[in-house]
This record gives sequence, structure tokens and C-alpha cells, in this order.
Amino acid sequence: MNRVPNPLIDQLANDLAPVKPMTMGAGMALAALALALSIAGIGLTDGIWMSPFAGQASPFFTIVNGAFLLLGLACAGAVLRMASPKVGNSYAGTGWAMAMTAIVPVATVVMLIGRGDALVAIDHAFAVHCVTAPLLTSLVSGGALVWWLRRGAPVSAGHAGLLVGLAAGALGTFAYGLSCSFDTAAHLGLWHMAPVAIAALVGRITVPALIRW
Amino acid sequence: MIADETALARLMTASQGGDRNAYRVLLAEVQLWLERYFRRRVAPAHLDDLVQEVLLAVHAKRASWDPSRAFLPWLAAIARYRWVDHLRKVYRNAEEELGNHDAVDDSDEEAVLARMSLERLFVHLPEKQVEAIELVKIEGLSIAEASARTGQSESLVKVNIHRGLKKLSALVEKAD
Repeated sequence: MNRVPNPLIDQLANDLAPVKPMTMGAGMALAALALALSIAGIGLTDGIWMSPFAGQASPFFTIVNGAFLLLGLACAGAVLRMASPKVGNSYAGTGWAMAMTAIVPVATVVMLIGRGDALVAIDHAFAVHCVTAPLLTSLVSGGALVWWLRRGAPVSAGHAGLLVGLAAGALGTFAYGLSCSFDTAAHLGLWHMAPVAIAALVGRITVPALIRW
Repeated sequence: MIADETALARLMTASQGGDRNAYRVLLAEVQLWLERYFRRRVAPAHLDDLVQEVLLAVHAKRASWDPSRAFLPWLAAIARYRWVDHLRKVYRNAEEELGNHDAVDDSDEEAVLARMSLERLFVHLPEKQVEAIELVKIEGLSIAEASARTGQSESLVKVNIHRGLKKLSALVEKAD
């Protein structure tokens, strides 16, 4: 094939400026910084609940918050990879992380219906704070991930939006969860799960418009 | 002969560092690669425009390539993304149907590139959607002409194009 001179190539070459490659390491550092800031912010505003570290919390505290942390990390990792696209990337792992986390609310609902006290669990005095505070906290991780995606070249905006919402919601809820002393299955399975679902929905709807290129 | 993965990755690394000569060589190689990549999946009259669009995208998003990863799968993802975008924009053109007249000889690299090819994306679409997209978006037929050719109603052709493009955009990074 003959090589035809392309003026655009000269123009782009003349405009070339050095860039810092978006490496996975730099992305993970950003996500870790955002999570650290989220935890620090919660520590300053609500205070960290120290009893779990003395073994005085129910197992649900560790199980549910651990699930949120892993879901958040899995989704954040996928988002970071989406910024540097390649044919052959797969994000199947996030689906399994979502499915495993979804066991928590399903088990909670089944348990509450079985015991007949579902309405009592729903009518919880601290519920509003346990939904709004994680959502506010999720803005830190969500903002960092959107900023990273805007610098990158995501090729599936809708999927990226959903994963940003899930990552931000799960990490924000994990950070907030370290301050919440309500460690029953009903409370964690309902009110700490709600902000994750809401953030995923908001991310799916709002983020694509911010990252299309 | 288009440069191989190693050479392209080396050129891209130098380009990210601001080496204009390396970048000029890289873009010329990328242009050739893209011309071959898009053949038979873009009307000849649109090929140059699409290649230019991808070159601009490569320039704008050059920081998104991670030097620790392969270059061609990154380029293929950018190319597929712009191609789906391009198909969305195309409604009608008066160009002749695509044939093999613009094809270059196959080489060993074809097998390597096959996993990243555009044809791989169509495998995941129902036959009717592929047919509608090919006739209207690539060959340039009108909706009415495509309807007559396929036996699908005009509204079904439109629905198949819409659904097919939506599905294609979700498959950009898919390899198999």
C-alpha cells in the first residue's frame, strides 16, 4: 500500500506535548487516597466506632462492611481499567462481586418477613442518616473516578457509569459503616444497602454524559 | 509492511514523552493499520474521514495508553469506539457497494489481528441486525431499499439498526 502524506499527521506531531501515562498504579493510588479521605472525613464528623476492634460487634458488622469494601474495590478496579481500554478487557468479576453483595439484602428481607417484624426494622430512627451520610461520602470516591475516566478513554459509558456508582456507593458506605454502631443484620442489610443501590442508579444515569468523548 | 506490536509500543512510549519524530512515524503506521482494519466495514468514501477521526482520538487520548500493556488492543478499542460512533452518524450515501477491490493481500498478521477485528463484533448480533446495519450504515442503502432487499418492514429495519448499534457499543472491548 502506498504511503500518502497526511497533513493531519504533521499537524498533530507539531502539537505534541509530553503526557503522563495513566498507569494502573497511579489510578489505584488515587482510589486509595479517595477512600482514605472518606474514612478521615467520617472519623472527623461522626467518629469511628472502636468496639469492633475489641471484638464487641456482631459478625454482621464485619461481614457486611467487608462485602462493601470488596465490592467497592472490585468496581473501582474495573473503572480504572476502563479508562485505558483494550480489546480483550473483561469486567465479569464485578458481576460476581455484585451478586455476592446482593445476598445481604435478600437474606435480610427473607429473615424479616419470616420473623414478621419487617415493619419494625423499616421504621428506624437513624435510617435517614445512614442513607444520606454514605451518599455524601461517596462523592469523594465518585468524583475521583469520574475525573480519572474523563482523562482516559472509556468506550462503554453506560457500563462505566454503573460501576462508578457502585464503587462510590460501596466505598462511601464502607467508610460510613465504620462509624455506625447499629450492627444488626436488619439495619445493615436494609439501610446500609440502600445508598449503594441509589449511588449505582445515579451513576448509571448521570456519569455517561460526563465521560463521553 | 506495518510495524509490529513491539515497534509500535516503543514509538508510543517515545511519543508520550514528547518525541515528535517518533510520533510522526507512529501516526503514519497507525494510519496504515487503520486503513486495513476498517476495509470492508466502511464505505470507501468514508474511510479517510474515519481514519482521520481515529488519529485525532489517538492524539487526544494518548495518555490513556498504559506502557505496561500492549498497544494494538488499545488502538483497536479506540478504533472500534469511533467506528460505532461513525455508523450512528451515517444515514445515506451514494457510494457503490463494497467489494474486495480495496483489499490488500492477507498476511500472517491477519490471524493475530483477527481477534480484534470488526467482524468479531458482528458475531454477537442477530443476523437481522447485522443485515440492516450492513445495508444501511455501510453500503448506504435507504431504509426503504433495505426493507425491500431484506423483506423486513421499514420500522423493523430501523429497530434492528438501533438495537444492533446499541449492542455494538457495549461490545467494543470484547475479543471473542
